[in-house]
Amino acid sequence: MPSLRELQRSFATAIMDADAAALGDLGIVDNGLDPAARIAIYRNNVFGNYRKTLAATFPVIKRLVGKPFFSLAVDAFVRAHPSMRCDVNRYGGELSLFLADYPTARVLDYLPDVARLEWAVDQANIAADAAPLDVAALGAVPAEMFAELRFVLHPSAQLLQSRYPIFRIWRVNQPDYVGSDVVDLGEGGDALLVFRSDDGVLVERLSAGERVMLAAIAAKRAFGSVAERASEAEPGFDLSDALRRYVQSRAIVAFRTPIVTRTENHP
Amino acid sequence: MSTNPATSLPPYAGIGLRAPHIARVRAERPALAWLEVHSENYFVDGGPAPAALAAIRSDYPISLHGVGMSLGSADALFAGHLTKLKELVHRIEPAAVSEHLCWGHIDGRHLNDLLPLPFTDEALGVVCERIEIVQSALARPILLENVSAYLRFTDDAMAEWEFVAAVAKRTGCKLLFDVNNVYVNAVNHDFDPLAYVTAIPGEAVAEIHLAGFDARGACLIDTHGARVAPAVWSLYQATIERFGPKPTLIEWDTDVPALEVLLDEAAQAQAILDTCHAVAA
Repeated sequence: MPSLRELQRSFATAIMDADAAALGDLGIVDNGLDPAARIAIYRNNVFGNYRKTLAATFPVIKRLVGKPFFSLAVDAFVRAHPSMRCDVNRYGGELSLFLADYPTARVLDYLPDVARLEWAVDQANIAADAAPLDVAALGAVPAEMFAELRFVLHPSAQLLQSRYPIFRIWRVNQPDYVGSDVVDLGEGGDALLVFRSDDGVLVERLSAGERVMLAAIAAKRAFGSVAERASEAEPGFDLSDALRRYVQSRAIVAFRTPIVTRTENHP
Repeated sequence: MSTNPATSLPPYAGIGLRAPHIARVRAERPALAWLEVHSENYFVDGGPAPAALAAIRSDYPISLHGVGMSLGSADALFAGHLTKLKELVHRIEPAAVSEHLCWGHIDGRHLNDLLPLPFTDEALGVVCERIEIVQSALARPILLENVSAYLRFTDDAMAEWEFVAAVAKRTGCKLLFDVNNVYVNAVNHDFDPLAYVTAIPGEAVAEIHLAGFDARGACLIDTHGARVAPAVWSLYQATIERFGPKPTLIEWDTDVPALEVLLDEAAQAQAILDTCHAVAA
């Protein structure tokens, strides 16, 4: 009689690899239905569950490749990147990496970046909440201290870059999109901000100045350094207008004043 | 949130609350005795899901139903998963916390499904040990749900109902008695479902589940994707006659229909419970 561990190992192998030896080791009662057919029911359930879960997280990928190809890709993904968590809702973060190497998906070479965007949207929806920035407190900061401030992005905020126009690809494949769905791959790449506002998850395109500004804030740089970098990236960039916009949309939710160190007498 | 949370569900009909109906239930607050949600859907740091659950919790007793704990795995429990459940229980103060009698992961790899256990002494020991860990972490008894199965192992040393009754006796856990799963297994494995009902200690049953199955293949498949079958309603009636009125949940997870369909199914369960309440009175 196999131990519980041996039995569960054989069960997992029989499901994942349709392994005949593993199936034999399991000792399944026939009772009018072949053990292989019984394991096949579980195989269908397990893979069906992953297909459904990943289709909910990556609806645009599914739309771009079609349901049959999506199902095949998910099955291969599940075998290459097994779920390591009890919570299937959090599964699929490596799909982008997987697609980059999945031979038949290489024709659509923007797929991995679109998958990254969909994963970012999914993650933004469950990230921690944050209170809005205290505008009165910001107004009270003396002008000479402003360059030392470190702003804080919303916990859901993520910055993405792609060589492809993934924003438009993503947008025209949303269920509520109306209009031409033609995408010119030659229109160039995108820098995007994904974050959760009061109205749900937003995906915004960034100018060069905005991208550098937000990346510098994400890297916890002081605002003086943020300003320098942004104007270097985009001459004439209106930093204070951008700051106002991101505070209002709640992509920026806090600021930290420099730590004032006091001299203390240590015993 | 209530300062004196219910420690058990009321013995009336409730529904499993799924994403498509959350907004309507929040807005219209239909007359339901309680609601059940999947615990894992709220294992998140923030965003709309936990906010909605907190709002709903102020109007309804909540049952937290876990699908991922994998109480029967030879692997140890995933500590992070238990911690998340503990945090959620602390936040929501649910009237019930349930998990499944199954396994889902081995050697660290998860199959994210409710897989069948062999009914052996070893499996019994493993399940009881895990339940005791969870109950001790949560400082409350959990409800254990029987699952549908499409195979049995030649090494089984006891019947499913003997295994379930033994777990309840050893650990003091309560039972979430899924009448549909009993029926599905009775058909799939050729036994009398009433023998199962009779073997279960009624005082341990703290909740009942009802759902629909798919009968198109060689086995009945527990899809949670249809109305409760007539044969399952009959078995439910017999179950309630034996156990007395118990909190009863309508579960629907695949192709979730309009809220009205769930409310209608819940009303049918309530009608059976009412007959039983009347007899008891």
